[in-house]
Amino acid sequence: MNEKVHFSAKPELRTPALVVGWSMDAGRLGRRVTDYLVGKLGGEAFCEIEPADFFPLNGVTIVNDIVFFPESRFYACPDRDLVVFRSTPPSYEWYQFLNLILDVAQDYCHVREIYTVGSMIAMGAHTAPRQFFGTIGSPELKTELSGYELSRETDFETPPGGRPTLNSFFLWTAKKRGIPSANLWVPVPFYLVSADDPEAYRTALDFLSDRLNLGLDLTDLDEEAGLQNERIDQIRAAQPEIDSIIGKLERGLRLAEGEGEKLAKEVGDFLRDAGN
Amino acid sequence: MPCHLFKIRICLEDNVTGWAVGIILHSEPELNQPHMIVGWPGIGNIGVITVDNLRQQIEAEELGEIEPWDYFYPSKVVIRASVLHSLEFPTSKFYYKRLANRDLLLFVGEEQPSGRGRMYAEGGKAYEMANQVLDVAEKFGCSRIYTSGAAVALTHHSWKPRVWAVATDSGLLAEMKGYANTLLMSEVEGRGDVGNITGLNGLLIGVAKKRGLEGVCLMGEIPDYLSRVPFPYPKASQSVLEMLAAILGVSIDMAALDDMTAQMEDVITNVFRQFPNEVRDRIDQRRQEAQPGMITEEDEKWLKENIDDFFRQEEGDKGQ
Repeated sequence: MNEKVHFSAKPELRTPALVVGWSMDAGRLGRRVTDYLVGKLGGEAFCEIEPADFFPLNGVTIVNDIVFFPESRFYACPDRDLVVFRSTPPSYEWYQFLNLILDVAQDYCHVREIYTVGSMIAMGAHTAPRQFFGTIGSPELKTELSGYELSRETDFETPPGGRPTLNSFFLWTAKKRGIPSANLWVPVPFYLVSADDPEAYRTALDFLSDRLNLGLDLTDLDEEAGLQNERIDQIRAAQPEIDSIIGKLERGLRLAEGEGEKLAKEVGDFLRDAGN
Repeated sequence: MPCHLFKIRICLEDNVTGWAVGIILHSEPELNQPHMIVGWPGIGNIGVITVDNLRQQIEAEELGEIEPWDYFYPSKVVIRASVLHSLEFPTSKFYYKRLANRDLLLFVGEEQPSGRGRMYAEGGKAYEMANQVLDVAEKFGCSRIYTSGAAVALTHHSWKPRVWAVATDSGLLAEMKGYANTLLMSEVEGRGDVGNITGLNGLLIGVAKKRGLEGVCLMGEIPDYLSRVPFPYPKASQSVLEMLAAILGVSIDMAALDDMTAQMEDVITNVFRQFPNEVRDRIDQRRQEAQPGMITEEDEKWLKENIDDFFRQEEGDKGQ
């Protein structure tokens, strides 16, 4: 196909769906959703994009003594006719990189539709009901998705000085190639950005399981989300100031200067220490 | 109007990636021995402001553009009722204008295709874009390319910027030297025989030379102490535009650039007032000198220690 794409196996797929997640978004949503799908559905890696043209490769990143190297890999779950792509976001040559994903998806896998999973940082409390947003490539797919609990009337323009997300670039590239696609956006409370947010990835997986007939049993995620809420309740009980700040968010009140930073630090540290 | 998408030489050779970047032409007018004037952003945005003002003044018509997606990260997404409406990219557009003596092609790039977090393009992408611009130039029979950029100099913001010229051959240099307020790079005090023009405003005339085209780069002087701040410096663009008007034999209304220059003068004066006294005095001493000079290594060091640190501190203050 292309020397920048390396196949290690040739799984038998019919007309699968593709789920795309990036490894570096808030609340680790993309990573956790794709990990969950691959783990639960017995996904096997079958293809990867070579990193040389897309990442600096001027050394290696170490986080907590662990080596991190860019990874851009496809996994096949033939039983559910699903392909998962998980990748470090490319540092440059974005259009070429996105087209390589779509070459594999379209020319080899013959995908019927594509979903990207991404998080958006929210100012609300973790106890508030999670809204779930979709940006959809075409009015036709929007109609098809009308039965799902997606917020479907969002208007948005990149503000001056900002840049669109990689998922928006990907959606546009897929649309250009005529592949039905949508970006799924799940809000992650700002103080859970550096931790995990099981409620967020449960929300995304619930939709994917339903839409793609994956038959996922998400009970384990309900338990994980419940445990996280209990831990946050513990810190609220132990630190009245944290309880007061979260209480303000629950009542929709504006935080005073420094309160947001304090909440993010204390909750982030607490959840990490508690083993999240 | 029909659009012609023609795959150009560089793209046809690019079989590895398989995604040819094209040039979209809205029309293919017959042009009379055109020259081309090109501008990309750079220090003080001198080149791009010059060319864009010229484009507006002579009411040049849009001719086409280079497809952007393989060069740039998008600049804006528009979503309407949850459906992707559009994705916008920095533009790289061609224009043309019929003039009395010879016709003119213009090219204005909103960004340099650096792709790696740098201001200036370099490497394969820069070379590819340079060749695409020159493909269009040659398609319309163009034999000479002008680019414009910044000349960082030991000058003062109250002085009229001069225009430094470099060219692909000595005959062209002699021609350029005949214009008012213009000097050759080698004539700048303290400047050696060797220099460098960073980014596409420089690279393009190098590639032009390789392809047997004439190339000239006209650089408007910008004071060293303003060269690393994110301000436009329209005063230098005015100097370059005056020279281009003389070359082209056209009359240019400078009112818009006058206004822009006046606005920036206020900004620069305010910034200058905030410099430490010692720094201000040293810069003001330049007014006693006969003419601007080239910055030396010692000047670079002083600039870094005094001006860069000053702006870093200002940035830090804003964030508190």
